[in-house]
Amino acid sequence: MSALRVVLVGYGPVGARFVEELLPAVERGTIELTVVAGEDIEAYNRVLVAEYAVGNTELDSMLVGDREAAEAAGARVLLGVAATSIDRAAHLVHLSTGEAIAYDRLVLATGSRANVPTLDGVERHRRDLASLEKYARQLVARDDELPAGITALRDLADAERVLAAVRDRKRIVVLGAGVLGLELALAAAHAGAQVCVVHHGPHPMPRSLDRGGGQVLRAALRRSGVTVIAHSRAEAVAFRTDDDGTRRFDLLVTADGKQLRGDLLVLSCGVSPRNELATLAGLRTAVGVVVGPGLASWTDPDIYAVGDCAQVVERTDELARQRSLPGAPSGLVGPGWRQASWLAATFTASAERTASEAGASGSAGAAADSATDAAAPVEREPIVMLKAEHIDVVAVGEISADPWDDDALHPRRRVSQWADPEHLRYVKMVTEDGMLTGFVSVGMPRTAAELTLLFERGSELPADRSMLLRFDGPDYDPSTDSDAFAPGATVCWCNGVSVGRIEESAACGNTTVEGVGRDTRAGTGCGGCKGRIAEILARAAEADETPTLTL
Amino acid sequence: MTLTPIATTDAAAAPVSVAGRDFPTNRGGLCKKGWTSAELIASPSRLGAPLVRGADGVLHESSWDDALDHITTSLRGIRQEHGADAIGVFGGGGLTNEKAYLLGKFARVAIGTSRIDYNGRYCMSSAAAAGNRAFGIDRGLPFPLEDLDGASTILLLGTNVAETMPPFIGHLAGAQAAGGLVVVDPRRTATARLTEDGRGLHVQPMPGTDLALLLGLIHVVIAERLVDLDYVAARTTGFESVRRSVASWWPERVQSVTGVAALTLRRLARRLASGRNTYILTGRGVEQHVDGTDTATAAINLALLLGLPGRPGNGYGTLTGQGNGQGGREHGQKSDQLPGYRKITDPAARAHIAKVWGIEPSQLPGPGVPAVELLQSLGREGGVRALLVHGSNLVVSSPNVTAVRERIAALDLLVVCDFFLTETASLADVVLPITQWAEEEGTMTSLEGRVIRRRRAITPPEGVRDELWILAELARRLECSATFDTDPERVFEELRLASEGGLADYSGIDYAMLDAGEAAYWPYPRGSAGTPRPFAERFAHPDGLARLVAVSVRETARPLPLSGELTLITGRLLEHYQSGAQTRRVPELADAQPEARAAMHPSTAERLGVSDGDLVELSNPRGTVRCRARLTADIRPDTVFLPFHYGDEQAANLVTSDAVDPISSMPEFKTNVVRVERVGGLVAAGAVA
Repeated sequence: MSALRVVLVGYGPVGARFVEELLPAVERGTIELTVVAGEDIEAYNRVLVAEYAVGNTELDSMLVGDREAAEAAGARVLLGVAATSIDRAAHLVHLSTGEAIAYDRLVLATGSRANVPTLDGVERHRRDLASLEKYARQLVARDDELPAGITALRDLADAERVLAAVRDRKRIVVLGAGVLGLELALAAAHAGAQVCVVHHGPHPMPRSLDRGGGQVLRAALRRSGVTVIAHSRAEAVAFRTDDDGTRRFDLLVTADGKQLRGDLLVLSCGVSPRNELATLAGLRTAVGVVVGPGLASWTDPDIYAVGDCAQVVERTDELARQRSLPGAPSGLVGPGWRQASWLAATFTASAERTASEAGASGSAGAAADSATDAAAPVEREPIVMLKAEHIDVVAVGEISADPWDDDALHPRRRVSQWADPEHLRYVKMVTEDGMLTGFVSVGMPRTAAELTLLFERGSELPADRSMLLRFDGPDYDPSTDSDAFAPGATVCWCNGVSVGRIEESAACGNTTVEGVGRDTRAGTGCGGCKGRIAEILARAAEADETPTLTL
Repeated sequence: MTLTPIATTDAAAAPVSVAGRDFPTNRGGLCKKGWTSAELIASPSRLGAPLVRGADGVLHESSWDDALDHITTSLRGIRQEHGADAIGVFGGGGLTNEKAYLLGKFARVAIGTSRIDYNGRYCMSSAAAAGNRAFGIDRGLPFPLEDLDGASTILLLGTNVAETMPPFIGHLAGAQAAGGLVVVDPRRTATARLTEDGRGLHVQPMPGTDLALLLGLIHVVIAERLVDLDYVAARTTGFESVRRSVASWWPERVQSVTGVAALTLRRLARRLASGRNTYILTGRGVEQHVDGTDTATAAINLALLLGLPGRPGNGYGTLTGQGNGQGGREHGQKSDQLPGYRKITDPAARAHIAKVWGIEPSQLPGPGVPAVELLQSLGREGGVRALLVHGSNLVVSSPNVTAVRERIAALDLLVVCDFFLTETASLADVVLPITQWAEEEGTMTSLEGRVIRRRRAITPPEGVRDELWILAELARRLECSATFDTDPERVFEELRLASEGGLADYSGIDYAMLDAGEAAYWPYPRGSAGTPRPFAERFAHPDGLARLVAVSVRETARPLPLSGELTLITGRLLEHYQSGAQTRRVPELADAQPEARAAMHPSTAERLGVSDGDLVELSNPRGTVRCRARLTADIRPDTVFLPFHYGDEQAANLVTSDAVDPISSMPEFKTNVVRVERVGGLVAAGAVA
């Protein structure tokens, strides 16, 4: 019998995870795997690109793929080779090298590309079917070329451009105040660059934060040396010509007439899935490649999508007729990793079942698809975290409600809120029947960590919500007996002796540390508490001398 | 400790007085358990004669001859009918080196069974597996304990030394003074409190997330270029794979898994890498998991990347739990191991041991099965039908004890050697009363790999016997021709020969040297001066290099609590030790902690309608623990803690899982999901007058 032929297009962190989990089956020969990598580089963790862009980490520390291990197991890994089209009828993927590879199952992990906003002076391409059919060579598996001095922040080449500007302490204009843009702005400012963030919303991270959280974040950004310009829609860029004749970015012009001069413009305006292979092949796409809960395309059960390019929607007749579909890829790597692991396990199971059936009955060929009725784990709403050392922002869920709202649709919704703008702290917790359904936390790292866990696990919040705030207090001490001289407080841990027991011993005439030790064993273990015993004895002696009122 | 016999006519009074011995580990100090230990010697509940279960189903006193004959007859019959592997032996980490050694020899030579394992499987097996994998050797602390005194930073992972080995905390003073004591524990334990007032940091992760926490620390160390690259190049292999394995564990992701803030993680990584004297120490809290070996491995990886092991004033170690937890795991109680920490599957090791024991290598059984699997086979077709238990109260200390009790009931013969009628002994067909520590000679190996002497202070009472004698008698009755000495020193002389050339080589040590006070650290080959710091020059792998082994989080490793459920963690109290078989019989200790109390956070208790002191039930499909609640803000609200020192319906292990680590076979003791309910149901608000 023949092995199940799997072709993976895309070798980012999600693709690399898929490969890693599929390797045992590849090694056993039940799956034949070809990886069409696109980029000419080992898979790396894109989450860390902003860190790389300011020189906080290096490429070696970002690598997640292990091409050598994959090849040793028998997989074929084609770095620097792009897939140019899919021939669904023939089950073939055509490559930029001219080669065509046959598949039983094709997995798209093509990820997403940075959005280029509409700006006078910057060319951008449409990637609808008509354009793709006309200009396939320029548009498939290629991103738009940006003028000098303008960059997105998506891959290593982008990061190198930013790094050069940061190293030279240049003026950097960041367009967009989403998570990635802010992470870059903060890290670059910290590294000494002059940074200005321009965005058109009322406050940073408008999709994730409510007004309170956004305002506190804006104050925190300013205090970190980042200039923030809100309510500004970017309209055009102007260029200057360098001495060497290069035409490069000079200034950004906003709709209200502001002119923001800089050395580098970083576009941080969100991402869009790389759909063009799917679009050209006639697969249903919406925001991303539309797949069912089993990650198989609505249009073709032999083609799957995972990660940033996959839009998971359960197909219904009603939805099938609609032009736009609910949901969108999360843009976060965690859900993509879980999809990759699940799909690899599903493929492995079905390939090995086929192999064992073939072994038993002598019949060959791929078994009927098992993934159509199974479903990848359903993702909770992803939690947004700003990765920055000096500002902690975590948010998730629907957080626009206010404590005083009286919403007939949500009679059991409760909102607790705490704001301390001066100290850059803000927390809002939204619950439904006591369960956390959304929260915002700014400047409260430990509180945020606890809320994250509570949200992930759908746990009930403590009735006293303020308990969660106390984690971040500088004097946080959960003990009920924090008075070191309370009678119940333990003095000698080795022997479990309390203040009260020592005072009792002192009252019986044991007035030295040694005497108390003989009587109670306090101080006879590690001896670390002898100083405290002496203090207690001194206090007891003092108390004896203090005149007291007798009843 | 030092014992002085007291002339007394009161039979119930302790026959010796106890005093701290000025020794480098405890510096003359003792904890409450030490001071009161002499009470056990003359305890009224001590067994004074063998007990044999009669036809009436009750244990009756018997003569030694009758009891031993009864055992021998039964063992012979079972061996004849079902083969030697139908007889199992279960040892303990509290046995002296001599007893542990002879027990392994007895099982393999006198009985001929491969089915031997011990309670150290529940204790040190994950750390041991990780140590062997990384360093090629498993010595708990590869340096003398006093080395810790000079540390500026000590990271304690999952260990509550302030309650479990209190005199130890004296060695933390230097790190505390430098503000560098870091304690990782889901509870604010007595040890975690040692970090207060600027003396360090308490990190309180969600139980079961230690591995993710460590991967996050390694991520920061690598990303921020804090790796000691010269050390890594000169003394380790495997860096690339570890680097790749942590690329996906950036601090914010770790925060969302562990509940530990990303900022805390970064600061901790920087502190560990600050180049001052730094030690990383692990305990059972991070090891007693289905991923315990990988978690200990991650701690070792962190230490190696920072260049700690083997560098003067720095290091990695694991804190051994039982009295002779180190020596007990070196000389043949483990299912896959022969004396000297030799592998039972290694032909050269088999040849060496067979020669010392005077048999052919082919007569040595192969590897057996680890503790949990051994217990699961009791009374089953092809499993163990007779079990001999030494130094272990396994119906309290094993995971999922309901299943263990069922299996024990299915045995044809259970023999227990103990000095009390423990929960396990009370189920036995034959109970053999034995000597206690103050009544016997022998050696133990401390947590730092130092071999120390135990000396007899008093004569044992009439009617009890030493286990060496029992093993020799049984061997003689089973017509085994191999030597079974009853004199501890002669047994030790044989152990020296058996261990010679092995990893745990004792061949250069003798009683006279120990009695003269020499600090003898193994490996101690004949003619050497011992090895206080075995990693100073090289590690024990043939190429001398340590292995960095990439490990990853298995998301499906353990069930996560659903809404309304809590994560149960188990551990010790200051006053008690292990299954409580001894400490619950010391009145002063029992008075201080008479019963199990489930510790939970007041906010959790409020939700459950539980008040301090209420009777509660902790349940899951494996069973139900019934005990009182203790409210404390020192625990995470999503977690409940139970001490494991109690029996019957208070036994924490009624609800623990017998799923095991795939490498070490360590059970999952520390993260089990339970539902907690107040017994008698909720009291409705306003119902209380």
